[in-house]
Amino acid sequence: MTTDSSTLNASEAELAQLVVETLNLDQAAADIDPDAPLYGEEGLGLDSIDMLEISLTVSQRYGVKLRADEENNVEIFRSLRSLNAYIQAHREP
Amino acid sequence: MTETSRVQEWVSRPERGSPALLRLGVNTARGLGRPVARLLLYPLCLYFMLSSPAAARASGAYLRRVLGRAPRLRDRFGHFLTFARCLLDRVFLLNDESDDFEVTVHGEEILREIERQGGGCILFGAHFGSFEVARAIGRRRRQDLPISLLMYEENAQKIRIALAAINPNLATEVIGLGRLDSLIMVADRLKQGHFIGVLADRNVDGKDLVKYDFLGAPASFPQGPFRVAQMLQRPAVLMAGIYRGGRRYEVHFELLADASVIRDGSWLETVMTRYVSRLEHFCRAAPHNWFNFYDFWG
Repeated sequence: MTTDSSTLNASEAELAQLVVETLNLDQAAADIDPDAPLYGEEGLGLDSIDMLEISLTVSQRYGVKLRADEENNVEIFRSLRSLNAYIQAHREP
Repeated sequence: MTETSRVQEWVSRPERGSPALLRLGVNTARGLGRPVARLLLYPLCLYFMLSSPAAARASGAYLRRVLGRAPRLRDRFGHFLTFARCLLDRVFLLNDESDDFEVTVHGEEILREIERQGGGCILFGAHFGSFEVARAIGRRRRQDLPISLLMYEENAQKIRIALAAINPNLATEVIGLGRLDSLIMVADRLKQGHFIGVLADRNVDGKDLVKYDFLGAPASFPQGPFRVAQMLQRPAVLMAGIYRGGRRYEVHFELLADASVIRDGSWLETVMTRYVSRLEHFCRAAPHNWFNFYDFWG
């Protein structure tokens, strides 16, 4: 277990890699700040098409459905870390 | 301040002036009735033409391209008048008074086939003619036909206000792009069989633009809406509601391409080339229906 909050744990690193590949980001997966905002101008600067793409990929890879009627989407998609926490809590065993 | 927070601030700020003005316009139109309100459009259009030189210039540049000659005064005035007439008719169409219009529909079988297969489709419109008449046709055919409109957040706010003033039942059918899960909502609704309308001609936000030849010169079109159809593997259907004068409208549905069939890298090129060339075709067939009053080729 790492204590440094800016480094990725194993499952976060896997998700970061998936996001980078899916969206063809010019950024190494290891360089993503897990707490940086995903959506909007700051942080990773993703738009709503990117968010759709991530939700489709996550559903394929982890079997976790991200739905629009989920009220906590802003929280879930806040950062790589929060998205990963949601996936790990809901993925099929 | 960042772009995002500015948008959010704009979204949360209540609008005051314009809904009142809009309600006044709607009530005036209803009070006078369509024939009298249409007479009022002549002085209104003349005023608008003279007081908006940028719009008049853009109209002139478009007309020169589509007509292939210098536009005459009657072309210029006719362009503005058609826009105003379509706008006025929206008041009546939105109020489910579509029976008062003579509407011919082409390609309705495409929608029937998509309904039969289950799962919705994306309807690609443009700022051309009356999107509303096409929507009214959908509702007349089946009261509960679920149609949502996807648009930029700022426009979505304005349209919601307009709908609330005209027919509050329709306000929930607008999806703004201002939320991170806006398109996840589109995906959910498509799965439930909704039809999602999007006007795919505007290039104002400058993102993901590609140039295509349009009426003789390159113009930018946004890839975004077409990418969404591709990701969700749904058919892309062109929708055009053309105003033909008097009470006559003509609605066209055409299958542009089906993203569940074309699954390779040729999708964007295929579907966008087709969209732009059909839009060009309809502009030539009904030139005054083009409602982008800004420098489209700029």
